[in-house]
Amino acid sequence: MQYALLAYSPPEDTDRATRPIPGDLAALLDRPDVTGWARLHADESATTLRNDEERMLLTDGPFIDSKEYLAGLILIEADDLDGALAIAERMLQVTRPGTAIEVRPVIDGRLRGA
Amino acid sequence: MALDTVFRDQWGRVLATLVGILGDIELAEDAAAEAFAVAAERWPRDGEPANPIGWLITTARNRAIDHLRRRQVLADKTKLLARDIETGPQPPEALMDDAATIPDERLELIFTCCHPALSLEAQVALTLRALGGLTTDEIALAFLVPFETMSKRLTRAKHKIRHAGIPFAIPPDHQLPDRLAAVLAVVYLIFNQGWGGGRVDLAAEAIHLGRALADLMPDEPEALALPALMLLHDARKAARLRDGQIVPLDDQDRTLWDTRQIDEGRALLRRAMARGQTGPYLVQAAIADLHLHEPRDWRQIAALYQTLARQTRSPIVEMNRAIAVAEIDGPEAGLAILDGLDLDHYRYFHSTRAELLRRAGRDGEAHHAYRRALDLAQTEPEQRFLAGRLAETKSSVRREPGCDST
Repeated sequence: MQYALLAYSPPEDTDRATRPIPGDLAALLDRPDVTGWARLHADESATTLRNDEERMLLTDGPFIDSKEYLAGLILIEADDLDGALAIAERMLQVTRPGTAIEVRPVIDGRLRGA
Repeated sequence: MALDTVFRDQWGRVLATLVGILGDIELAEDAAAEAFAVAAERWPRDGEPANPIGWLITTARNRAIDHLRRRQVLADKTKLLARDIETGPQPPEALMDDAATIPDERLELIFTCCHPALSLEAQVALTLRALGGLTTDEIALAFLVPFETMSKRLTRAKHKIRHAGIPFAIPPDHQLPDRLAAVLAVVYLIFNQGWGGGRVDLAAEAIHLGRALADLMPDEPEALALPALMLLHDARKAARLRDGQIVPLDDQDRTLWDTRQIDEGRALLRRAMARGQTGPYLVQAAIADLHLHEPRDWRQIAALYQTLARQTRSPIVEMNRAIAVAEIDGPEAGLAILDGLDLDHYRYFHSTRAELLRRAGRDGEAHHAYRRALDLAQTEPEQRFLAGRLAETKSSVRREPGCDST
């Protein structure tokens, strides 16, 4: 099965774009069962568009306003939920304290090589 | 054997095997329900087959194949059925002969139902439905929620199992302790719910599940200790109430205790102890056993509560230790322990404190504590018991007006 790991990070002061991916995490992202990943800019950079009764509403910021922000998306292949949770656990061991990972089964999708 | 008994005893086994074959709990449940319905119609007329489980599984599997043929899209999502759809269903007789070798997969099923990715209330409901064979109606009644609410809860949980890929498997060794603890917690929660006096005998259900776990995991001391604990508690059920009044253990009519359950519980406890590990259910079962002896060995009970408090860090365990300490060193010693606990929301904390205050001769304070306990009491027998105590301490308050300074 394919799973999407959605990584939520606690707020930070430094510019995450200038910070390289830590070596431990980079190694995990190179695993063969990781089929794709994307690191996202912090949510100050987000713009949300919604369809409010046929009117396109544009707002500054993420759709869900919370302390943590969606920091990354990782696609993995695992036999079952326990397998996916095991990979997420490994990743949590090398991400910043306070990070949370939401595990979502993937229905279908397509990924182009970056 | 009456069909009801077959149903209750075999539902979990039949369903587990079907989940193993079909790879989907919802499909398996629908098929099992159909097979049991066919059995209810045919067996009284044609006689019961030589191997009821084999017959039920084969019939259910054939029904599932019929459904899948009609819904071919689903076919590729099931594990073993692709071949069966090609070759067609087999007559029930085909499986009946080797039914004895049908593997018992109830353990896989219970680990699926109690997977921590499901909410606790979903785990409880699913376990009662899948392993206990209770209907959605019965589970709704037991938890005092509308049928629709329970039905949605079960459906949502089954969909999460399918979509999220919750495994149908016994967890590997490194995960087993945590995951077994989750399973045992669900069964014990069902048991404790059963003491609330609902219309479905959940305590009996929990004991049934606990016995099955002990059979399936004979080397796990906690899986043996939990049914021991439940049996030893439940054995006193008939003596706990007299004319709708709660009877304290010391005043209970021991001839009303269920000696068969006590023997069964003690045998399980001995087997659990022989494994040489002390988990929280083992300690609690040992305490439950000590409570059945006369006179009670309060020192041992207090020591075991201390062990349990270290394991669980639960203030409720500390409260129970205070009761034992009060028996050894007097009510003031017990009250000293209670004073350090943050249990204001817990109804038994106030009744326990009231009892010790009463014994210490502090009737004014006891009166107030009984009042607080009565405000929090949830069942009628509890309310009657506390109202009686409240009245007793009130007359003392009147006799000694100086006591009631608060």
